Amino acid sequence: MEGRCSVETWAEFGLLGKSGRPKVKRGFGANIFICTGCEEVYVFSANERKLTVVLQLPGPVNDLVESHDKQLLVACRCGVYCVDLQLLLHRAHGSSGDASSIPAELKISSEFVVVDADGVSSLLLVGSVLLTLSQTDTSWLLTLYKSPQQTQPTAYEVLGSFHLPQISPVVHDDTKLKAGRTGRSILLCAHFGNRPPPSSSCDAVDTSYPHFCLKPVLFKLLFGVEAALAKSPVVLCGLPDGRLCFLPLGLPGSRLRVLHSLEQPVVFAGASVVVETDPGHAQCLAVVGEQGRVVLIKADKAGPERRGSLARFTEGCVSGPVECGFVDKNCLYYSTGSDLLTLTLSEESAGREDGERGEEALRSPTSLNVCGVAALTEPTCSAAGDVQLLGLTVGGQLRSIRLPMRRRGEGSPRPPSSQVGRSVRDLLSAIGDVCERASALKTVIKSKNQILKQLNQVVNISFLLTKTEEPFPFEEKPIGCHATASWSRSLQKDTLNLKCVLTNSSPYVLERGWTLSVTVFPLSCSSSTGEGTSSTNFMFPFYNLRPGETLEVSLPAAAAGDTSYPLTVNCSLILSLSGFLGEEEVARLPGWQKSCFSLPLNTLTVDWLHASQVISPTGSQSNKETDTLQAFLSSRQIGCSKGDGASKPERYSASVRVSSELLRETLTLKSFHLDTKGPELASPNICFSLLDWLFFEAHGGVKVGREGNEIDSSGLAIRARAPNGATVKLSAKQINVAEENPGKEEGLVCVEVRIESSSVSAVCGLHHAVLRRIQSLLKKAPEKAASTEKVQRLGLRGALQQAEIQQSRLSEALSVGMSSSQTNRFLLGVYQELRANPLLVI
Amino acid sequence: MLSLLDKWVQENNELANNFKLPEAQEATSPDQNRTNLRQSCSEFHKLLRKIQGIPPDAGHAELELSVVYNASVCFIAQSQIVEAELLLQQATERVLQMTGDDPDTSDPLVLWRTVLKSVRKTAFHHHVLYLLSLQWAIWLTNSYLKTIRDFQEEISALLETLSGKVGDDCRNETKAKFPDVPKLITDPRRLVELLQICTIITQGAERLSEGWSSEVLSDLQAASTLPAARALVAYTHLLSGACLAHMNRPQMALQCYKTALETDSHCVCALYQSILIYRQLKNSQAEIQTLRILHSVSNTKILLLPSSSEPAMAGTHLLSPSLFLRSQSLSSLLSVPSALSVLHSLALKCVLHSRASEGVEHYLDLLAALHSEDQHRIGAKTMTDTQVHAEVSTLPKLPRLYLEAGAALLMAQRPADCMALCSEVISTTQDLLPQKVVLDESETNAAATEDVKEEGEGGLAMFLWTAAAYLLQGHCFTHMKDWKQAVTHYTRCINLLVKVHYKNKVAGFQTQIPSADTDVQQGGDFCILQRLKGLSFAGRGISFTQMDRMKEALRDLQHSLQVLPEGVGAGLWCGEVLWRLSRRCDAAACWEKTWSLPTQPLTETLPVYVQEPQTGPLLDSTELRHRLHELHPV
Repeated sequence: MEGRCSVETWAEFGLLGKSGRPKVKRGFGANIFICTGCEEVYVFSANERKLTVVLQLPGPVNDLVESHDKQLLVACRCGVYCVDLQLLLHRAHGSSGDASSIPAELKISSEFVVVDADGVSSLLLVGSVLLTLSQTDTSWLLTLYKSPQQTQPTAYEVLGSFHLPQISPVVHDDTKLKAGRTGRSILLCAHFGNRPPPSSSCDAVDTSYPHFCLKPVLFKLLFGVEAALAKSPVVLCGLPDGRLCFLPLGLPGSRLRVLHSLEQPVVFAGASVVVETDPGHAQCLAVVGEQGRVVLIKADKAGPERRGSLARFTEGCVSGPVECGFVDKNCLYYSTGSDLLTLTLSEESAGREDGERGEEALRSPTSLNVCGVAALTEPTCSAAGDVQLLGLTVGGQLRSIRLPMRRRGEGSPRPPSSQVGRSVRDLLSAIGDVCERASALKTVIKSKNQILKQLNQVVNISFLLTKTEEPFPFEEKPIGCHATASWSRSLQKDTLNLKCVLTNSSPYVLERGWTLSVTVFPLSCSSSTGEGTSSTNFMFPFYNLRPGETLEVSLPAAAAGDTSYPLTVNCSLILSLSGFLGEEEVARLPGWQKSCFSLPLNTLTVDWLHASQVISPTGSQSNKETDTLQAFLSSRQIGCSKGDGASKPERYSASVRVSSELLRETLTLKSFHLDTKGPELASPNICFSLLDWLFFEAHGGVKVGREGNEIDSSGLAIRARAPNGATVKLSAKQINVAEENPGKEEGLVCVEVRIESSSVSAVCGLHHAVLRRIQSLLKKAPEKAASTEKVQRLGLRGALQQAEIQQSRLSEALSVGMSSSQTNRFLLGVYQELRANPLLVI
Repeated sequence: MLSLLDKWVQENNELANNFKLPEAQEATSPDQNRTNLRQSCSEFHKLLRKIQGIPPDAGHAELELSVVYNASVCFIAQSQIVEAELLLQQATERVLQMTGDDPDTSDPLVLWRTVLKSVRKTAFHHHVLYLLSLQWAIWLTNSYLKTIRDFQEEISALLETLSGKVGDDCRNETKAKFPDVPKLITDPRRLVELLQICTIITQGAERLSEGWSSEVLSDLQAASTLPAARALVAYTHLLSGACLAHMNRPQMALQCYKTALETDSHCVCALYQSILIYRQLKNSQAEIQTLRILHSVSNTKILLLPSSSEPAMAGTHLLSPSLFLRSQSLSSLLSVPSALSVLHSLALKCVLHSRASEGVEHYLDLLAALHSEDQHRIGAKTMTDTQVHAEVSTLPKLPRLYLEAGAALLMAQRPADCMALCSEVISTTQDLLPQKVVLDESETNAAATEDVKEEGEGGLAMFLWTAAAYLLQGHCFTHMKDWKQAVTHYTRCINLLVKVHYKNKVAGFQTQIPSADTDVQQGGDFCILQRLKGLSFAGRGISFTQMDRMKEALRDLQHSLQVLPEGVGAGLWCGEVLWRLSRRCDAAACWEKTWSLPTQPLTETLPVYVQEPQTGPLLDSTELRHRLHELHPV
């Protein structure tokens, strides 16, 4: 165990963006520039260990470079922006007098554009020349710009450009995706000899990373004699298609030529001294590809039979994928995302077997046990010999990674006790680190599993509820609602309360994220007229409804005096993603935050019968004083409005006739327990049970919560108060419908339900409700041969005749001009006539 | 309906005005102009689609055709020729529908003729003519010269009609004040003038390259009086000059070039063409003079913005003449070597014509330019440059340039500087030299080294450069009378040269003496190799002579003469050595033979550094003759 590296987190920037490229770069004066792949560029001061400036750019940042006069050039999707850094830092310092923790923020707008070019992926400054590499449809474009002399950002002047036709990348499929997010390209500059060409004052820039001095022999071998003679800097660019190209800058008529092809996206290229013969001359050019191919380019003596040198390309492979890399004097550092590894570039470059040894070295990388590094800076060497790397992790943390000095040749000397203690500490901390990582991963996996399980339930349930056709044509869905309507009084106001019960009779659990949604709206304005104006929506989020369990919610359906019955109650289950996954998870799925799925359950109807209250015949003990008062007031009102003070209001009535045979067949079972007289029900009993059934059984999924048996003891009439306050009398009696003319056969015995009230609307509403219920009764009735078809036919004929008469009267009435009140009156008459002569329901 | 028409007219006029507004301000950048152009183009196009949405009607033909004109001009100005052509075709079809004629053909020529015939009497005749001029522009841009010639009759009618409109012009002016006349973004008359001269120029260049020089000449001379930009007039003069040069009348050609230059001082190609004529006339002094001017002009041109050398015109600013001057033969006529190439040929000319010191200055300028940062702009092909002035770079390889400069320095008596340059070359190439180079003579491609593969420069070239550098250093030491050092360097040169092996040894050395019919490149390299050998042996021999090592001297000089029989220095010194060795008859024969050789001035076909050195110890021929007289007093 050679020595552990210590890792220190300096700052956090949040998760790395996908669109740009993460970058860390050292600048002047301990400034560190960080782009996390988003639109921001952060300036971090290594001395003060704090964020000083945040630059907000209009697009994802691809690359940045600092010029010698301290201008920061940032390559964005839409162009290159130039920011005066000194000014910014000054401003940051000025403002940081009191609030030192808040970094200065600056929004970079189009006035800072210096190069208006699309898709610039890499930048390089060579002296006063700015180079940009961008991708067009068919080729790579390396463009040269001249930096203006003055400092304010003005557009850079184009000096020229070089094309390199694109080739279809020979990479594996999975990397194509990665290359798709703006192919990462790199630009660097090789100089011949000791120092860069004498130009204004750019030494400080031109000696650090993207610039390096190559050993002359290697330079000449790679780039030709002419470039060497002209001492021209050579620009190297590594492309996502794996090509490493070069361009001598100072030669007339030079072209962009391919030096080597890695056949996988070039992640990093850099030069290493390896062994110091001439100070500052790099002897080895290292190129790293995304799948882990490493190429070391060195000058080598040609065989013994001839003098001269040649460039030797040593290829090797490390286990990829390589996220980023860097070289220092003799090491290549690279990160696979899960670990940071280092390769020692071989030192003994003299021997013949150098090539093999180089490959050997490539096979044995040393792990540094630092995970998640997505970008690295150039390593710096402290006086003590420690190497410090700065890395940006996938989680957006800026970390300083300090490697202990490697002692080579020294075998393994006994380290001093303090160092042992330290290394043990380091070891322990590393173990802790790993443990923490593992547990974090475990919880993640656990929660993923949980989510998957729940998702399975959700899918099952939605399948169950959306599969409407075959299995449940009549019977209810395994998950459904039924309700009980009851009147209650609160705040001096009667309201019809609906107690909805959601029953889960499916084998699945309704877990998190579910909401029961109940929409109440009058039937009359369901879809055509009102745009939800009178509809009310209630949401009841719930959690964990196991099979067999029920959820009870109660909601005010309508207030008294609201006559817009019948009400339709739509029940549905809603699954919202944010409720299901949690806000944070959903935040990672852009465009899904607000999404939810709605699964319709069933529709309930609350009609007039549900809403009317039975007036107890025994006395008016249930009627409070207020009721009488109200009744009085309303009667006064009617009196006032009518004006003429008609003492007895008009009574309206409607009736429904049902054959008692039908009733007997369908109602017996239900009323059996009520009345033990036997299956043969007497006529009052039939009427009684019909009324009872009409009033107290559940219809359309809605039950009425009424207490006691309040039917008239005779069992033939019920007085009730309709929701609009009118008193209604429902009476049932058995009659014998004997057809008038033929008269031969025995008339059909049937029960007539008569609805009487002074309020037209109450009569209409109740009539409708009674009809609806009898309709459902008919559905239940067993099929049987219609023995009474003749009667029916006769009835039909009569009905048809009547209908014809009425229609002719109607059209007559409508064609002749009548005043509106007349029309109303007339129409009412027709309506009553229709209601008074009901068809027999068999 | 009427109000809609008015609205469209208004929209068109606003667009046209908008376009003219920024044009008036000279300060706008080309970038801005381009975006402005693109925008107007799409606007016009949109308007046109609106107008063409209703069935063709003679009532608003004027408006529609004006908008077609404007949109097409914008397209052409952006080099979107296909789009413009499509617009024109649609417009002609619609015009035919208006007049009720049946197009029944898709051939554009026939279509145009039908249209012209059918609109002759209509009110929008002129507008159709404007569109015809645009069609002409498109033909010219596509270099469909034959089509233009076929249409000559219609075009001359067009010219007549439009120039006949001069009188109507003022009426037009007054009409322009009314808002209901659709405006055009360029004056069609100016456009036609431009097209006319550009057609003549392009046609002239094409026909000149086909060899019809005398026929073209009169056309061109007539065209030189046409109203046009000075740059274009200068081109007509230039082409006339080229015709005359073709007809073997160089003096008159020179006169024409001079007129061209007087007409437009930016017409650098005229300068270059006259240089070519001076070269042909072997008037080196005039050639150097002209090169000097060309050099200074191209130097200033670098400093100027590229667009300022562009012939620009006020009226037809939108459509630059370079759009219409795209013929291949014309651009080859108009091409000028790059500034560095000019400088190089100037330097070389000076050196070859005994102006060594001036040549040295030019060489040093050239090297300085190569090392300066500013020359990126020369290396890179600028995009903004229009294709009219394609620059040709004929600069030799950098090591050769260094060696030429070194030779020039030596001629200018600056051996120390020469040595510095040579050692630079040597230090660059030395560690790359392979052990040996094998020349496969049976193959035509030169310098195929067996093992070492250098892209671009073969091992042989590297050998030759290094050897030449050693040779020059030897010359320098000879010049400084440091004989020992000279011998060392000549020896290094020889040691290098013997490493070049030939594959077909059977043929022997004799066959390898270069003859005129050998392949130029191979012959060139081989010739240089032989000369290097000859000169280095001669130099060492001479040095040995100075050191009184006569035997070695004689051996080397004889070697030299064997390899390079035409070596004057070697011949004379060989005689001298023989004389000193008291082989006077042989010496006399040797001298006689040498004198009988034709004297060779410095030539351009060989690099300067492999030609006989002008410095070094000299033998006075008159003294030698005197000695011969003493030997044979007859």
